[in-house]
Amino acid sequence: MITLWIRGLLRRRPGRLLSAAAGIAVAVALLASLGAFLAHSQATMTDRAVRGVGIDWQVQVQPGTDPSTVTRTVQVTAGVAGSATVSFGTSDGLTATTGGSTQTTGPAVVLGIPAEYPALFPTEIRTLAGTDTGVLLAQQTAANLHAAPGDTITITRAGLPPMTVTVAGIVDLPLADSLFQKVGAPAGAQRTAPPDNLLLLPTDQWQQIFDPLAAARPDLVSTQIHVRLDHQLPADPAAAYTSVTAAAHNFEAATTGGAVVGNNLGAALDAARADAAYAQVLFGFLGLPGAVLAALLTATIAASGATRRRSEQALLRARGASATQLIRLAGTEAAITGLIGVAIGLAGAALVGQLAFGTASFGTTPTAALIWSCGAAAVGLAIAAATILLPARRDLHSATVTSGRATVARPAYPAWARYGLDAVVLIIAGLVYAATSGTGYQLVLAPEGVPTIAVSYWALAGPAMLWIGAGLLTWRVTDLLLGRGRPLLNRALRPLTGTLAGPVAAGLSRQRRPLTRAIVLLALAIAFAASTATFNATYAQQAEADAQLTNGADVTVTQAPGTPAPADRAANIAAIPGVRAVEPVQHRFAYIGTDLQDLYGVRPASITQATALQDSYFTGGTAAGLMTTLATQPNSILVSAETVKDYQLQIGDPINLRLVDGRTNQLTTVGFRYVGVVSEFPTAPKDSFFVANAAYVAAQTGNEAPGAFLVDTGGQNTTGVAHRLETMLGTSATVTDITTTRQTVGSSLTAVDLTGLTRVELSFALILAAAAGGLVLGLGLAERRRTFAIATALGANRRQLRGMISSESVILAVLGLIAGAAAGAVLSIMLVKVLTGVFDPPPSVIAVPWGYLGIVTAATILGLAAVTVAAARTAGRPAIGVLREL
Amino acid sequence: MNAASPLTASPATPSTFGTPAALVSCVDVAHTYGSGVTAVIAVHGVTCRVLPTTRVAVTGPSGSGKSTLLHLMAGLETATAGTLSWPGLGGHPLARPGRVGVVFQGPSLLPALDVLENVSFPLLLAGHSDQDATRAARESLHRLDVADLADALPQELSGGQAQRVAIARVLAARPALILADEPTGQLDHHTAALVLDVLLQAADELGAAVVVSTHDPVIARRLPTQWTMRDGLLLTGTALGHTAVPATAVPDTAGSRS
Repeated sequence: MITLWIRGLLRRRPGRLLSAAAGIAVAVALLASLGAFLAHSQATMTDRAVRGVGIDWQVQVQPGTDPSTVTRTVQVTAGVAGSATVSFGTSDGLTATTGGSTQTTGPAVVLGIPAEYPALFPTEIRTLAGTDTGVLLAQQTAANLHAAPGDTITITRAGLPPMTVTVAGIVDLPLADSLFQKVGAPAGAQRTAPPDNLLLLPTDQWQQIFDPLAAARPDLVSTQIHVRLDHQLPADPAAAYTSVTAAAHNFEAATTGGAVVGNNLGAALDAARADAAYAQVLFGFLGLPGAVLAALLTATIAASGATRRRSEQALLRARGASATQLIRLAGTEAAITGLIGVAIGLAGAALVGQLAFGTASFGTTPTAALIWSCGAAAVGLAIAAATILLPARRDLHSATVTSGRATVARPAYPAWARYGLDAVVLIIAGLVYAATSGTGYQLVLAPEGVPTIAVSYWALAGPAMLWIGAGLLTWRVTDLLLGRGRPLLNRALRPLTGTLAGPVAAGLSRQRRPLTRAIVLLALAIAFAASTATFNATYAQQAEADAQLTNGADVTVTQAPGTPAPADRAANIAAIPGVRAVEPVQHRFAYIGTDLQDLYGVRPASITQATALQDSYFTGGTAAGLMTTLATQPNSILVSAETVKDYQLQIGDPINLRLVDGRTNQLTTVGFRYVGVVSEFPTAPKDSFFVANAAYVAAQTGNEAPGAFLVDTGGQNTTGVAHRLETMLGTSATVTDITTTRQTVGSSLTAVDLTGLTRVELSFALILAAAAGGLVLGLGLAERRRTFAIATALGANRRQLRGMISSESVILAVLGLIAGAAAGAVLSIMLVKVLTGVFDPPPSVIAVPWGYLGIVTAATILGLAAVTVAAARTAGRPAIGVLREL
Repeated sequence: MNAASPLTASPATPSTFGTPAALVSCVDVAHTYGSGVTAVIAVHGVTCRVLPTTRVAVTGPSGSGKSTLLHLMAGLETATAGTLSWPGLGGHPLARPGRVGVVFQGPSLLPALDVLENVSFPLLLAGHSDQDATRAARESLHRLDVADLADALPQELSGGQAQRVAIARVLAARPALILADEPTGQLDHHTAALVLDVLLQAADELGAAVVVSTHDPVIARRLPTQWTMRDGLLLTGTALGHTAVPATAVPDTAGSRS
């Protein structure tokens, strides 16, 4: 009997079966794609965290311990790929006499590094000028001493005569923060900034200078062993963190207290754990609604055949089929539908992976891909059971043979609507939103050094409740409009249906529940597409802002230390083909008290011609407002929040900074007035800095030389322009372009290829929106073929049939799109707010992807139009033939 | 008009001056379902005419072609051979809804419309205003004695009630020709007799011709003329003012259906 039934189902009702399978396939494909993508993302995060670390471990040899003993222990430790012994010495100060003046620094750190160090740790030292071996002077120290390669530096030693060395090169230490960490000290006890004055010597030379000091003042010298690990780590950042931390503890135990490990790799993985948690949250926010939507679509598809199924069930019962037999039939139908859906879904996911990422497994391991595929398949089968088997079972227990024959159920008002569940859910969504947008809220909390990580998954409840509430509210409003609003519907349909408006409105009103479900589904699909696209667009906008902040502009020209820019440099740069605007920016070092900070002198009226300033970079005013203040009050200055807190500044307070005077080469005091807080600025570092009026700084210091030029190319051909500038400027300046910067900046989260995810998600959203409209409408109309056949037999012409069919499509399109747009707008705002932690920097405006939204709308309307035309054509068939078939 | 093949048989009684034009005229009409080896000849070589105010019962066993003949007359099926025309109706019935009313064998009410809306539906299709259609529908329901069911949905009606509503729907449009395909097939004898009474009485009032297909001899005897069909052929036909011509005797080897 089951075989007979299934054969009949496949031959007579392939549309019903395949449509439900298609819904399941979308859910399975979406889950399998996003799951595999998530697994791949986490592996990417681990990889990126590992690559971002210059020195995996900094092993601090404890006083009284022989460094060679620790070195031997390092060498026999499992997982160690290489190591180098680095000596640290403290000098009372460095002195240089250049250009007829003598400059002396405060206390300096002198490192002794072995010859193999640059090869072992290639990202630690970057040569800016001169050679990359021999005596190397840090960039800022060189600026303080006005020293260049070939100059002589005097190293002052406590209680010992000074020694001199000749500078061979000027270097930058990009990872100085971690290099000069206090190994073993808690986060709060770490130094706030790397040493201002820094000199690097070959180990032999260092020993000549500092071995005598070590004998006299052992407290002024120390030894570290820098270790590179082999990076055989688990793909998940959290697991990799645990593994690396355990290995470090194991090593410390092996040295019996002779060494403490500065676990830089562990710290990087620690941070990546948070990003991995964010990725999981993103998966929850962006992926699950799609899967739920696909399940709802399947349920709606299955429900569109419910009347027929009930009627068939009633017939079978009347002919003597037992309840068990009917359940078996429904179970078999569910299983076949589920298996077809799973097969298509997994094949679809593999295809999506191939198209979007180049591999069917989304770049993840076969095991992870298999696990996610199995999980997605299980969900697919569960959806089939929930949408086909359960309703059949429920009908069997609640419906009678007579009621099974009924084709138009009197719509009853569901309990949730009577008790106002939609309002309750929306209020909860509002409360969650209020809580998550408050200050101090963090979606992901990963306390440094602690293996556990806290993800505030309940924040998911906000958008989830909003989504559910929007769906329920759409249901209520639509039900009201189609039910009690029948006179209104009658009038609205008259242009389409003419004299038939009354019966068409009456029919739609009585059979409004399937149409209402279709409208709710379409609205949710549109809301999903809109919110996902808006989130992704905003994410892309902020990633671009991050790249802009880091690089400064499309292309940035930074003058080499000690190489002042000629007066016509800006004009020369502007003459390069492809350059639209050039903006010089001064870069100075300024002392506030004893603290040395970067100071950027800008031309407030024209800075935005070459770079973008977002309001979120500032506190106390908008970007435009504060630039106007800088222009109209030239002595005004923008200060970082940390400085404001440290120096207890109030708006309007005077600030005296000490800057190098270009005329005397000595520090001079310049008075400013504090007008606002700046947290981000193009080319500025993440820590404290100042932004001031360039003309004022130039007038006060007698030096207008810019430190950098921000070049706007209109976003076009940045690498080409950068290449031309490099050719023109040679070694006098460093040229960076935003395209290259984009690939290197950002957290490990931004390293995740969200473009691929975006492509996958937006494609699914588009499919769901089109399917929610077209497929559900089509199935609903197919179920009413008999109605159209009777109308034809009674004399309805093609125009009248088109009017009857298109009235349903128009109502679905209008109400679905309006409700979807409204829900999508609110949902987008909430998503961006709740997920603020994902953005760096936080967005000041939400980016709306109008193009994509236009495509979704067009696809929905086209889908509905295609179904309407097809249904009208089918309805035009000879009525008797149709009546005989049904 | 359908002209699938040249006429091979003349009408038994040609129209004469003063004789009203036939509402429907079939000349050597045939209808075949499908094609090739699966083809089923439902109606074959039927020549007949239905004049105004005629009362005809088409009888014959199941599958003899009764329903197909009525559907051909109603313009719902297309003749695959022969000539089918409606001279007394001014053209194809579906071109102007309401001139031919069909009572179907099975349930034919629109499930989402209540009884009043169902009955007024053909009038609206014909372009009548809401008010006119509703008034005519109420009158028709009243005539069929089912006015109290105006607000009921089809699924809430019994078989007899549904068929009376279907007849009311036909009568509301005041057709010139009523084609009733086994209108009492699913009813008990008593109800069937009542339904037929109502149908014939209403047809009298409207002056409409009635053709009823039935395999029930009791029902058939209620009408003055009986045509008999077998294997798609119209065998006999005698009545006042109308003629049915037995079709050319062709052995039916392809089977038949109705």
